[in-house]
Amino acid sequence: MAATSPAVECREVRKSFGGVPVLTDVSVSFDAGTVNVLAGENGAGKSTLLNMIAGLLAPDAGSISIAGQEIGHFDPSVAHRHGVSFIPQELAPLPDMRVEENVLLGRAPRSRFGLIDRAAMTRSAGELLAQFGIDIDPRTPMRRLPVALTQIVEIAKAIGWESSVLLMDEPTAAISERETERLFTVIRRLRERGVCVVYTTHRMAEIEVIADTVCVLRDGSLVSNGPATDYTERDIVTAMIGRQMGNLFPARAPAPEQKPMLALEALRPAGAPEPVTLSVRPGEIVGLAGLVGAGRTELLEGIFGVRPAKGRVLVDGRAVRLGVPHAAIAAGIALVPEDRKNAGLVLELSTTDNTILPHLSKYLRGRTFINRRTGQREAETVAERVNLQRSNASRPVRTLSGGNQQKVVIARWLLADMRVLLLDEPTRGVDVGSRAEIYRIISQLAAAGVAVLLASSELDEVINLTHRILVMRQGRVAGEIQHDGMTDAAVKERILRLAMGLNSTDPHAERASA
Amino acid sequence: MTTVEHATAATDVSVARLPARVAKWSLDHAIFSMLLVFVVVFAIVSPAFGSLSNGRVILLAASASALLAMGEAFVILTGGIDLSVGSVVGLSGVAAALAAHNSGSAAVATVVAVAVGLAAGLFNGLVVAFARVPPFIVTLGSMTIALGVGQVLSHGSPVSGLPERFIAIANNSYGGIPVPVMIMVVAFLVLWLLLARTGFGMHVYAVGGNPLAARIAGINERRILLAVYTLAGVLAGLAGLILASRVTAGIATTGTGYELDAIAAVVIGGISLMGGRGSIAGALIGVLIIATLNNGLDILNVSPFYQDIVKGILIIAAVFVDVRVAHRTER
Repeated sequence: MAATSPAVECREVRKSFGGVPVLTDVSVSFDAGTVNVLAGENGAGKSTLLNMIAGLLAPDAGSISIAGQEIGHFDPSVAHRHGVSFIPQELAPLPDMRVEENVLLGRAPRSRFGLIDRAAMTRSAGELLAQFGIDIDPRTPMRRLPVALTQIVEIAKAIGWESSVLLMDEPTAAISERETERLFTVIRRLRERGVCVVYTTHRMAEIEVIADTVCVLRDGSLVSNGPATDYTERDIVTAMIGRQMGNLFPARAPAPEQKPMLALEALRPAGAPEPVTLSVRPGEIVGLAGLVGAGRTELLEGIFGVRPAKGRVLVDGRAVRLGVPHAAIAAGIALVPEDRKNAGLVLELSTTDNTILPHLSKYLRGRTFINRRTGQREAETVAERVNLQRSNASRPVRTLSGGNQQKVVIARWLLADMRVLLLDEPTRGVDVGSRAEIYRIISQLAAAGVAVLLASSELDEVINLTHRILVMRQGRVAGEIQHDGMTDAAVKERILRLAMGLNSTDPHAERASA
Repeated sequence: MTTVEHATAATDVSVARLPARVAKWSLDHAIFSMLLVFVVVFAIVSPAFGSLSNGRVILLAASASALLAMGEAFVILTGGIDLSVGSVVGLSGVAAALAAHNSGSAAVATVVAVAVGLAAGLFNGLVVAFARVPPFIVTLGSMTIALGVGQVLSHGSPVSGLPERFIAIANNSYGGIPVPVMIMVVAFLVLWLLLARTGFGMHVYAVGGNPLAARIAGINERRILLAVYTLAGVLAGLAGLILASRVTAGIATTGTGYELDAIAAVVIGGISLMGGRGSIAGALIGVLIIATLNNGLDILNVSPFYQDIVKGILIIAAVFVDVRVAHRTER
């Protein structure tokens, strides 16, 4: 029996939170030695399903079996014993401990006297990491690793428990495409070892590359399930949103030849090796591509004044005081930061309050008291412009989905006279439906004369939304690509070559940045 | 269940099922309900508790603590903490008593008390906001400094022999309402407006809820921090004045331990120690719960030692309830 039973089998699983059904009678199974992608919009029930298999939540009805054994008691330690490892979306490393201590947390090798055997620890952590193709000193503090490596260390930690089932919630949301490739290498290796991998993603392109099976959830029900080869990207998106979708990317309007709206003159954010000079015209969308850690976020933060910087930032020819976000806002610069939960929103404040927060002085009576009625009315107007479903604008913004939270971060800047829009990974962790809307908003704003600087690790987004692309590497602009009329594959290759610093034989690829 | 059914069920609740509504309201206002329960229980158990004059006693006892707790609430809402307010009470009391003794004027004493509180708060705020020393450390230091300065100024003994006009400040009543109670009520109204209705108030929540997001929204975090510590200092100065006047002497150690009572009240009142969540009404209710409990147990002749035990349990229980309620509404 054990030979034929699937690694994970869910039968008629049902779950609701506070009377709201999240999963309804989902039956699905995953085999050993396969990679299975769970697709679906935010709120479709993907995470809930993973959480139940991981033993973090108990189903209201139905059963879950691991390798033919039905789980009677839902608890992470029970799931562990059955060989299930779970890597949540929000990683939980111990940043002040070493990599080896993180990897071997709770099972560090002991010496004869019961003390921790440091040498053995370094050795076995190093061996484990080497299996995943990571060549770092296991004694490195965890804090120093980039997100992608942190993630692989977390996987190493999980797999170290000899698991037969690996669950991952959005493992690729926070890492660049190149690092995704490294993650896939690890996943393929695990598949060869007979591990059953189940993971959720928003990136359609990954399914073709890595998945054996696809399982699409919509509103808590399993709407489609089968071998990945049976699906096109369009089929999956249609199944996810339950209707045909138009083009993800809006048509690009040409940017008029005008003098720059945003100009950086030798701007050097703290920590950057070299100053950056660039300009963006009104109506132009300029992409900033590069690997994680290439300095894109730092550059945007320097422009907006969140990070101290030297040099000059000019908006419509007028210099902006550096290092003071307030001055940047007054000059018409808007920032949609990379990490909306940590940098963009105050999660306990309401949607309305978060929307008016950067412009509060406009909503004060007698410079003191908040005029909530006006604030609410105007917040509602901009919310409509971004198609934000306003179930209750006075509830804390943390109750909104990721896509809707991102719309709030964008909507707030529509309240002011925006001239420059800085976007840092605007669609990270955002579902397909909201993504299309965010793209539409960005191009509408550009059409209205806003200069847009878009930093993104999603190459499709950079290619299809922008007028030209700047590729950053190690804090400097490594090159510029005018990609009009080029094929996507050709642009991707140039971006990657520039981003990785490979010598290009193509004379067009490396164009010195002015 | 379809949405239509859902909607009708909701209206049914609002019209017919009063007990359910009461239950929901009490859960949503768990802290206030707890205060009501205490008042009712004590009133039933002891007739003396329910009298009007006893109500006045409770409010009078709560007044100085309320000022401290409300100041502490602002600091804690920004994610900080102020351990110095108790010592500042003693220091400003000593300073006010010395001023009253030397000048004979209640007005001068009042100005001195407030100025001392302001200076202490400004010091805390400057070091926290600009030198970036953690608030716990800064105020632990200034707590000790303020106590030391108070002892030096008073030569380690109570400053007494105070003029009638000074003693009158906290011992007079108008229309049956003691002056400290009036101060407490006025302070509550002003601070409530400040926190719930002004731009400053929203900035306090934003800085405490997410400092980085607040900065990106263009908020001057340092100015907010400076302001809340200064406010807490001023309120501690006022509390010091009231207490010195009530006990008719300036004593450096008067307020020792009051900072912990203030923090306890804030926590009981449902304000998150992580910052960003809670209300000024919560802090006031927290103070009233502690004062009611102390008074009720006194009347029932329960030893103060047991009162401490009850208070400790209450602190933990209040946060437990708060966590459960927050968890319940999460999903």
